[in-house]
Amino acid sequence: MMEMLRITGLHKRFGDKTVLNRLDLTVPEHSVFGFIGKNGAGKTTTMKTVLGLLKSDTGEIFVNGEQVVYGETVTNRHIGYLPDVPEFYPFMTAPEYLRFCGEITGMQKTDIANRSKELLELVGLEGERHRIQGFSRGMKQRLGIAQALLNRPKLLICDEPTSALDPVGRKEILDILQTVRTQTTVLFSTHILSDVERICTDVAFLDQGTVRVQGKLADIRTKYRREEYILETEREADALRLRTAFPAIRAEGPNRLIFCESGKNAVFDVLRFVTEQRIPLLKMERAEPSLESLFLEVLEQ
Amino acid sequence: MNAQIAFLRKEIMEQTRSGRLMLLGVLFALFGIMNPAVAKLTPWLLEIMSDTLAGNGMIVTTVTVSAMDSWVQFFKNIPMALIAFVLTESSIFTKEYQSGTLVLSLTKGLHRDAVLRAKTTVLVVLWTLCYWGCFGITYVYNAYFWDNAVAKNLLFSVVCWWLFGLWTVALMVLFSVVTGTNTGVLLGTGGVVFVSYLLGILPEIKVYVPTQLTDGNALIYGTAGTGDYTAALIAAVVLSAACFAVSVPVFRKKQL
Repeated sequence: MMEMLRITGLHKRFGDKTVLNRLDLTVPEHSVFGFIGKNGAGKTTTMKTVLGLLKSDTGEIFVNGEQVVYGETVTNRHIGYLPDVPEFYPFMTAPEYLRFCGEITGMQKTDIANRSKELLELVGLEGERHRIQGFSRGMKQRLGIAQALLNRPKLLICDEPTSALDPVGRKEILDILQTVRTQTTVLFSTHILSDVERICTDVAFLDQGTVRVQGKLADIRTKYRREEYILETEREADALRLRTAFPAIRAEGPNRLIFCESGKNAVFDVLRFVTEQRIPLLKMERAEPSLESLFLEVLEQ
Repeated sequence: MNAQIAFLRKEIMEQTRSGRLMLLGVLFALFGIMNPAVAKLTPWLLEIMSDTLAGNGMIVTTVTVSAMDSWVQFFKNIPMALIAFVLTESSIFTKEYQSGTLVLSLTKGLHRDAVLRAKTTVLVVLWTLCYWGCFGITYVYNAYFWDNAVAKNLLFSVVCWWLFGLWTVALMVLFSVVTGTNTGVLLGTGGVVFVSYLLGILPEIKVYVPTQLTDGNALIYGTAGTGDYTAALIAAVVLSAACFAVSVPVFRKKQL
């Protein structure tokens, strides 16, 4: 499968802070690629460097086989970009803005008109005749997707498209991204792991400027698959006692605990403790490990 | 080329819909009307005040005004109009940096030079229209009330002032690409003009600095000849060209 984006040895410092540390990343064509990392992990810096908006200290970036050069925008004709908080010219209406975008991309007049209509319908802004200055955050995000997809880009880059939205807005954006995956390769950064689980085919975990793990979501799940147990105690005090006795146990609620089987028969040790201490349980369940557990485990390694 | 035209159209739309075009139009028209109006009203004002002035021992005789008084007013008022122009348009670049609107256009493959050309064109055309509009209004009123022929070197003197404004626009563009904030643009532009003004106080340097071009009164009264302005004219043209030329590579590599 062809690589839509390839980054090798990307390094970037801001003053004495290393933001990207020899970062390598490969995004295969027609994937929905989740770029996962905590706030400040370097996600936005990576994306802005791919767009030629930031100068890297070292490293190479190829978009659809063409090298990205800082300050030049030639490779951006392959890319549709949606920033985390997209800002548009407030004095324009949504169709006017799309027309402007189409013209600066060099699209034909009729193509702009047809594509604008199609995309405004896709993002649910077809009847909107007000100027952008009156748009809500969710509406701006939806217009952001429409402008990003206007010239049928081969790569759609979305920087945390859902993090600033309410649950309804989030669902709308994810549904749209899911719909467009047939047309383009999607790279989106996020720290909301449930979003990744919903729509991604591939993922990369970014931590302290380095990609720790990347690959097909299914492969990563298999590789890091470990038994995970959920335990619910009747009393909160008992949950606390268990966590004190077994520091590897994580709390997910006041009396809801999660732990992994790490090859040392942890489950039997926990059960022995429960029996000896006569701790009343509400529930004990063996579960499929969540992406969050995987992420935390990768970070711990 | 289409991208260039589209961006230029967007700039014009912004000037119109944000009300800046209207604001500058009204302002420069008012300045244009004010110059002959003040000249026309001077005898009347002195007549009203004649009693008070007589009490202070000053006798007001018949005051005659001519187009010259109106042109003196023109050169007195046009600096204020230029300041208003700079204040209104100083955010033409920086607003886009701060809001992030430019980033989206650039990520669509729009060349940075096209942005620079479009914004510079808008500033130059806007200054030219406003300035010559203001001049035209004053000229027509003066011709109606008096005779413009009394002012010597009139066309040359106003071309000099227009060129001074153009140099200011070039400074605005340069400081817009060098600094990222509105304050930076205002301080940079104001600072350079102020330094030029200070240098102009020194008699040996006076004729070489662009601020010399603002001394229109000396030209219309005939106390200075057009030859006294040649060096300053060349300086303004060269410096403006240098500002525009330096802005191109700086803007290409500007971190947004």
